[in-house]
Amino acid sequence: MAIEIARPGKTSLIVSTPVMPAAGTVGFGDRYRSLIDIDKLGAIVTNPATIEPWSPAAGARIVSLDAGVLIHTGLPNPGLAKVISQNRRTWAGLPIPVVLHLVGTSLDQMKRAVEMIDDVDEIAAVELGLRDDIHEADAVELVAEAARMEKPLLARLPFYEAYHLAWPIAEAGADALVLTAAPRGTARDRHTGRLVSGRVYGPLIKPMTLRLVGKLRRQLPADLPIIASGGIHSPQDARDYIEAGAIAVQVDAATWAQPKMLERIARDLGGWIATRQRDALPDEWNPDMSHTEAIQRRAAQAGSRRESN
Amino acid sequence: MKETQAYIERIKRVNRGHQRLELAVDQSLSAMLAGQAMLVRRIDKDYDAEQWDPYLRELWFPVEIQARNIVIVERPARAQFLPGQLLSIIGPVGRPFRFRHNLRNILLIAYHTTPAALLLMLPPLLAKQVGITLVLMGSARRYETGHLSEEVEVIQADDNLTWPDMVMTLGWADQVFVVVGQGDELGYCRDIMRLMRERHADIPTNYAFAVMQRELPCGVGACHACALNLRGALKLPCVDGSAVDLTNLRLN
Repeated sequence: MAIEIARPGKTSLIVSTPVMPAAGTVGFGDRYRSLIDIDKLGAIVTNPATIEPWSPAAGARIVSLDAGVLIHTGLPNPGLAKVISQNRRTWAGLPIPVVLHLVGTSLDQMKRAVEMIDDVDEIAAVELGLRDDIHEADAVELVAEAARMEKPLLARLPFYEAYHLAWPIAEAGADALVLTAAPRGTARDRHTGRLVSGRVYGPLIKPMTLRLVGKLRRQLPADLPIIASGGIHSPQDARDYIEAGAIAVQVDAATWAQPKMLERIARDLGGWIATRQRDALPDEWNPDMSHTEAIQRRAAQAGSRRESN
Repeated sequence: MKETQAYIERIKRVNRGHQRLELAVDQSLSAMLAGQAMLVRRIDKDYDAEQWDPYLRELWFPVEIQARNIVIVERPARAQFLPGQLLSIIGPVGRPFRFRHNLRNILLIAYHTTPAALLLMLPPLLAKQVGITLVLMGSARRYETGHLSEEVEVIQADDNLTWPDMVMTLGWADQVFVVVGQGDELGYCRDIMRLMRERHADIPTNYAFAVMQRELPCGVGACHACALNLRGALKLPCVDGSAVDLTNLRLN
C-alpha cells in the first residue's frame, strides 16, 4: 500500500506503512537492524544532524522518571558532511526511505545544508527540527529556506510552541508537520542531586500530544499531512493518533524499551489502515491474532448472522 | 546482538545485601565474556512490559556463566524477583575486556558500586593463576565478599581512598580495572586517576580502565545518550565499552 505523507507538489514522500522511528531514536542508519525487521517500517528518520560537529552534553544526561525518562544528549554528531559521507552507503542499502533530521540553527547554516543535501539521492526527505525557544519569524525564515530543496520538507515543531507555530510554518512551505518534538522538562538526578534539563519521554506524553493533533487537524488545511509523535507505546496509541487525523506516526523511546514494539506497531497500523479502507474485519490484521483465531472469529460472526436472519 | 527471552530459574541470597539470579537464557548469551552486559526488562507472556517503571532497561552484568545456557547475575536483595519471571534481554552489549597476554597480577577496584561488573573475569583468571586483588572504596565497602573465591585478596580502602601497602599494590598490578558507580562517574574516575598519579609516575595506555555502568537507553549505539568524550573521538560505552582506557578519558 502506498501512503503519501508529504504534501503533493515536489517530489513526494511515499511510504508503505505509516510508521517510522522518531529522530534520535535509531541512530543514523541501521543500528537497529539486528533487533527490528526494518522492512516493516515506513521510513527511517535519522538522528539529528547539524552543519558543524556537536559534542555530547557534559554531566548527567539520563534521569529516570516514574514511567518515563528525561534525556539530554547535546545531539552529538560529526557534522552534516560527515553524517552524509559516513552513512550514504548504508542508506542506499536500506529497503525504506531515509528522512534526514536536520537541526535548524541559523539561516546561513540552513543555506549551506540545502546545498549539501539536495544532491544526495539516498535522502528521500528532510525533517527540520526547530529549537524550542525559536521566534516565529526565525522559524518561518528557516522553513522557507529549507523548502527551496527539491526534497519533501517535514517540519518538526517544538511541543510548547506547536499550536502557535503550525500555521506560519505550513504557509512557509512545509510539506508536512511533525507534531511534536518530545517536550522539554527539568528533573533532579537522584545520583548527583543536580537538576538536569532535557527531553521527556514516556507514555504520559501521548494524551497531551493527541489533543494537540486533534485540535490542529481541525484547523490546518486538509491537504497538509500531520505526522504524530509523542508517547506511543502500543498499537492502540498509534491508532488513536490516526483517528485524530494524523497520516502517520513516529515512535520514540518505546523503541528503546521494547524494540519489537516498533515493528509490531508498524505491522498493526499498516494492516489496520489497509483493512479499514477495504471494509474488512478490523482486528483481523492484528499481528497478535493467530490464523486459527481469525477463522474462528469469522465462523462465529457468520453463525450470528445466520441466527439473526 | 539480539533480543531474546529468558526466565529466572532460581534465586539464591549470597549475602545480606545481594541475591543471585540464575537465568535460563538464549544460547547467544551464554558466550558472553567479562565486560559485556545485558539490557533487561521484565515482561509478561505477551511481550508487553509488566510496568513502565523502571522505564529503561536495566543493565545487568553476568557474574557467572554455567553450562546449559545458565547465566547468573547479582542484584540487590531489596529488588523483588520470582522464579519463572519472564525477561526480555537485549545483548550481549559492549565489548569484552582486553587483558594483557602476560598478565600475572590484576587490580580490581569497585568505587561507590558493587564489583559485580568485574566478577565474571574471576574464574578464567584464577584458572590461569593470575593474582587478583579487589579493593572496595567508598560505598562499595558495604559489599560483603564471603561468597567470592578465597584466592581473591580483598582490601577495604579507608575514608581517604587509601589502604596499607597501596604503593606496592599499584606497582605490582599489570592491569587495573575500576568499576565506578552511576552519577558522577567522571568525578570518580578523576579520584582514581589522582590516586594512581600520586603513586605511579607514568600511567601507560592499556593499563588502567574505567568500567562504566551508565544507563543505556538503546544499548546499540543509536541514541548517543551514553556518549563519552575521549581524546580525539566520541565513544559509546554501549558499543565500545563497557571498559574505557582511563588515560583517554577527558575528565574535565
